[in-house]
Amino acid sequence: MTEPAVAVIGVTKLFPIPFQWRSIVAVRDLNLQVSAGQIYGLLGPNGSGKSTTLKIILGLVSPTQGRSEIFGRDSSLVASREAVGFLPESPYFYKYLTGAETLRFYGKLCGLRGAKLRSRIDELLELVGLTSARNRRLGGYSKGMLQRIGLAQALIQEPKLVVLDEPTAGVDPAGAREIRDLILDLKRRGITVLLSSHLLGQVQEICDRVGILADGALVREGALDDLLAIENQTDLVLEDASPELVGEIETLAAKSGARVIERGRSRTSLERIFLEATEKPKKEIADE
Amino acid sequence: MNSSSHRAFSLGRIAAITVNTLTELTRLKIFYVLLFFALFLIGSSIFMARLTFQQEFQVLKDIALGSMNIFTSVLAVVATARLIPQDLEDRTIYTILAKPVPRSEYLFGKLAGVLLLLALSVIIMSALFFVVLNIREQTVLSDTARQMGAAPAEQVAEALDAVRASAFNVNLLSGIAIIFIKACLLASLTLFVSTFATTSIFTTIVMVFVYFIGHLEGIAREYWLQANSAGWMTKAFLGLVALLFPDLQLFNLSDDIVVGTAIPLALFVKTIALGSFYIVFYLLLAWAVFYRKEL
Repeated sequence: MTEPAVAVIGVTKLFPIPFQWRSIVAVRDLNLQVSAGQIYGLLGPNGSGKSTTLKIILGLVSPTQGRSEIFGRDSSLVASREAVGFLPESPYFYKYLTGAETLRFYGKLCGLRGAKLRSRIDELLELVGLTSARNRRLGGYSKGMLQRIGLAQALIQEPKLVVLDEPTAGVDPAGAREIRDLILDLKRRGITVLLSSHLLGQVQEICDRVGILADGALVREGALDDLLAIENQTDLVLEDASPELVGEIETLAAKSGARVIERGRSRTSLERIFLEATEKPKKEIADE
Repeated sequence: MNSSSHRAFSLGRIAAITVNTLTELTRLKIFYVLLFFALFLIGSSIFMARLTFQQEFQVLKDIALGSMNIFTSVLAVVATARLIPQDLEDRTIYTILAKPVPRSEYLFGKLAGVLLLLALSVIIMSALFFVVLNIREQTVLSDTARQMGAAPAEQVAEALDAVRASAFNVNLLSGIAIIFIKACLLASLTLFVSTFATTSIFTTIVMVFVYFIGHLEGIAREYWLQANSAGWMTKAFLGLVALLFPDLQLFNLSDDIVVGTAIPLALFVKTIALGSFYIVFYLLLAWAVFYRKEL
C-alpha cells in the first residue's frame, strides 16, 4: 500500500484564551488521510478549523494532542517540508521584489542555485502565465497575479504535495478559473493537492475527495462522487428532443414504476456566461 | 526533490534571508537617516568657526559620535521592531517557514540583515565624519601656516603637529566600534521583544523603556550597592536586572574619546566582549520564544 501524502492522526488543538482559565477548541480529535495524487478539498464555514488544520499539517502550529505526517515524516520536522509547497490565504509577499526575484528568494530557501534555479524560475513563470510580468515589482501585481506567483513559489522545489488555503479568495472568475486549471494541471503531473475553500462549486469541479469540518470536527468525509450521488435517481440529458419524445419517455418511465421528478431546459452556469462575455472582447482587442 | 538532501543548517538559506532583509530595509528609505546625519554634521561645523581649533575639533567629534550613537540606536530599534510583525501581518512568514527553513535560521537571517544595515550605516556615517574632520583639519593647518609665516620653522612644525594631534586619533575608531556593538545589542534585544510582542509599536515602546533603564541602571546600582543595607537579595536582584537590561552606560566611552583620553585595550576588548555576549544571549532568548511560537 502506498504511503499517504498526509495523515492527521487524532489531532486536537486548543488555543488558551489569555487571562482566562478557558481554551478554544479549534480542532477536535481529527483523523484525516490524503492519498498521493489526489486533490483533496477541506470545506467548512469560517472558524471551523480549516486553516488551523493546514497549519498543523505544515508544522506551523503544534497540536495539543495527536500528530500529523507528510509522506510518513512527522510534520514537526523541518525536513518534512521539503516535499511541501504552501500558498496561504491572501498572501502579500515582498512588494519590493519582482516576480522573478520572489521565485529566486524562495528557490534559495529550498537550496536551489545557479542554472537549475534560473531554469526553474523560467519554467514556473511560464506555467503560471507571468513571463511578461517577471521584472515587474509585486506591488504592481493584481490579486490574481499575486495568487499565481504565490502558487509558483509553492512549486519552486518541485514538491510532491501542495497545500492551498483559499486559493481563489478575492480573485475574479477568470482568475479563479486559471487557478483551477493550474490545480488540475498539478494533478496531471502527479502532485497531491490539499486545498481549503468556501467556494463549493469549484471544489466540486476539481476535488476527488472532500472533508467537511464544523466546529473543529470532521462531520462528513469521502470521495466526491460517493457523497454527491443520490442512490435512487438518474440524470438523462437529451439534445434536440421533441416534446413528443419527452412525453413518450415519461410515459415509459411511469409504466415501469419510475417517477419523473424534474423536467426542464438544461441551464448553463453564470460563470460560463461571465467568462464568455469577458473573454470575447479581450480576444478582439488582442486580434486588433 | 530528494528527501535526504535537507541540511539541518545552511548558510545559503540564512544568506538568502539576510540579503532579503537588507533589501527590505534599504527600500524603506531608512537611509534618509544618514542624509540627516550628513546635513547635521556639515551644518554644525559651519557654526564653529569662532572657536579655537582644539574646541572646534572636540565639539565636532562630540557631535559626530553623539549623533552616530543616537542614529544607530534608533535605526537598530525601528528597523528590527517591524520585521517579524510585518511578516506575520503579510503572511509571508508562513510561506518562508513552510519551506524547509528552521526557525533559528529565519531569526539569524533577519538579525544578520539588520546588523549588515547597521554596519553599512556606521561605515557611511564614519566616512562622512572623517571627511568633514579632514576638511576642517586642512583648513586649520593652512590658516595656522599662513598666520605663522614669519615664525621659525620648528615653531611652525610644532603648531601644525598640535593641530594634527587634536584632529584625528585612532581612539575614534574604537569609539565607533563600540557604538556599532551597542546598536547590534539593541537590535538583538529588539528582536527578542518582537518574538512575543504583537505589534511593532509595542516593541518600540518597550525598547524606549529598556533604553532609559539601560542608561540609568548603572547609577541606581551604584547607589544601592553603596547603601549599607545592600544584602544578597538586593545583589541578586541587581544581577538579574543587569542580565535582562544591559547596562548601556558601559558602552558610552565617547566622552573620554572626545577629550582625547586613550581607551585602554583591555577596556575596549572587555566592552566588545560584553556586547557580543548580550547579542548572542538575546538571540538565544529570541530563538527559545520563537521556536514554540504558534504562528
